[in-house]
Amino acid sequence: MNVKRDEKIGVLLFLLPVLILFIAFFVYPVIYLIIMSFNKWSGFDAPVFAGLANYIKIFTDKVFIRSITNNIIWALVAGFVQVPLAVLTAILLSYKPRGWKVFRTVYFFPQVISGVALATLWSAVYNAQYGMLNGILRILGLGHLEKNWLGSLDTAFPAVLIYWVFYVGYFMVIVLADIQSIPEDYYEAADIDGASRIRQSISITVPLAKTSIVTCMLLAMINGMRQFEQVYMLTNGGPSNRTSVMVLYLYKEMQNYAYGTSSAAAVVLICVGTIVILTLRNTIGRPNY
Amino acid sequence: MSTDAIRIKRDVVRIKRNVSPASIILNILKWIFLLFLFAYAVFPVIWLAIASLKTNGELMANPFSLPKVWQFKNYTKAITVSGIGRMMLNSVVISMAATALNILITSMAAYSVSRFEFKGNKLLQTAFSSGILVPLNALMVPYFVLISNIGLYNKMGGLILVYTAIGVPISTFIVMGFMKSVPKELEEAAVIDGANFYKRFFTVIFPLSRAGIVTAGTFQFLTCWNEFVYANLLTSSQTVRTIQLGIRYFTNQFSTDYVSMYAAIIVSILPSITAYVLFQNQIIAGLTSGAVKG
Repeated sequence: MNVKRDEKIGVLLFLLPVLILFIAFFVYPVIYLIIMSFNKWSGFDAPVFAGLANYIKIFTDKVFIRSITNNIIWALVAGFVQVPLAVLTAILLSYKPRGWKVFRTVYFFPQVISGVALATLWSAVYNAQYGMLNGILRILGLGHLEKNWLGSLDTAFPAVLIYWVFYVGYFMVIVLADIQSIPEDYYEAADIDGASRIRQSISITVPLAKTSIVTCMLLAMINGMRQFEQVYMLTNGGPSNRTSVMVLYLYKEMQNYAYGTSSAAAVVLICVGTIVILTLRNTIGRPNY
Repeated sequence: MSTDAIRIKRDVVRIKRNVSPASIILNILKWIFLLFLFAYAVFPVIWLAIASLKTNGELMANPFSLPKVWQFKNYTKAITVSGIGRMMLNSVVISMAATALNILITSMAAYSVSRFEFKGNKLLQTAFSSGILVPLNALMVPYFVLISNIGLYNKMGGLILVYTAIGVPISTFIVMGFMKSVPKELEEAAVIDGANFYKRFFTVIFPLSRAGIVTAGTFQFLTCWNEFVYANLLTSSQTVRTIQLGIRYFTNQFSTDYVSMYAAIIVSILPSITAYVLFQNQIIAGLTSGAVKG
């Protein structure tokens, strides 16, 4: 028996299922989208080549422009507000204050609840008549601030955008694990030099945990680009498309049998996502993926 | 300086620091921050759980009051009206099947990629891990066309296939990390004992990477359980509806019977909460190994 040959076949055989799925569900769909984005297709008859018509259509559509803007705001808030909050939390917990494990467990807890369930929960919180938020305002004597949070033009998007910012558990866990792998000696040396805790966090913790922080920023921003459930469940893009995002836009185009337009929107989404990844890589640092 | 002297100096510095007025204020701010996040994570869920045990009248009158009589009948109603049992069953079947398949094939691939040298090996590793960053929700059109063309639209099999596939990059990444750390000597010993490629995988590498496989599996299960976009896109009838889709329909089913709807939401998130309580170490380890190692 030829061991090497036997191994070669084995390696290939073991790779095959994953390779097929990866090509079918990751590589091919992207190529398919690019091709379809240059076609007009209702999903029934054959696609017809349409040049740049789909792209012209979406870039002259106010709703799509609004969607991209919303996604970019979303990604920026996720990357530059949510992740820094998570890093701060991780730093605080890394000093192991009383009950830090309980905090870690509880902070992470909302992450195991599905996006749909959380969104439904928050639509109850925001509800105009009996919601928790208006209830709190009444108790605080701020009843005049009561609002139909998801129904008003000026508050709908902030309301959709803001509730998840304080769910820092996911990124906190990643960063905390990285911080905990930093050798204790560095901090001892810094203590002896008289560096304050804040100083130590800025000069030791953040630089040494940089890879995981960048990874989190990346995941957070990509997440901001592919939002769907929250908007779909809370407002379905309303009022008057104020809260629309790219995935919701392409979903609605698809429901209207405008597969070409939907594909063009998807291609734009993928491009914007790639630009975000490359920009982060070349400015702040390399993530793990 | 001797080690003891260093320790003493360090402790003196630390004690001094802890009693300065600035540090006391910072300390108070720290606790306010930590407790705020704590309340933020649990309060809405607890509020919803309590609201689900009130009458609609009580909820309208005061969102924060405790119920006079705990309305457990909201739950009976929630379960009978929503058909939540069937949806749970569908979710369990789909998530279990997709997890089992995903773990089997990704650990096979991880074995090939992490322990054998061949042309294109590095390229594959990079390709798989960059798959983690693909915004999957953008792929609705091709997934819909693909699944419809192979006749799996509105079938559980369609969702199982899609879920198995979308978890490929992250699972491969996690399992690969663990397999790389299994010592070469163990496998070489098995080669000398005459174990072939397949036997080494099943008797040496797979069991030794169990921690990573359980981690990836827990992660994959939660992803499947919570998935909404493709459950929504690739099914149409009630018989294949998953629990996440169910939540979407609660608003229609219960219309103004908010308390029963809340009960249904609580029932639908209970399995996730239970899984978290049971597997929190694996879940946290999965995140950590996925993002820090590698």
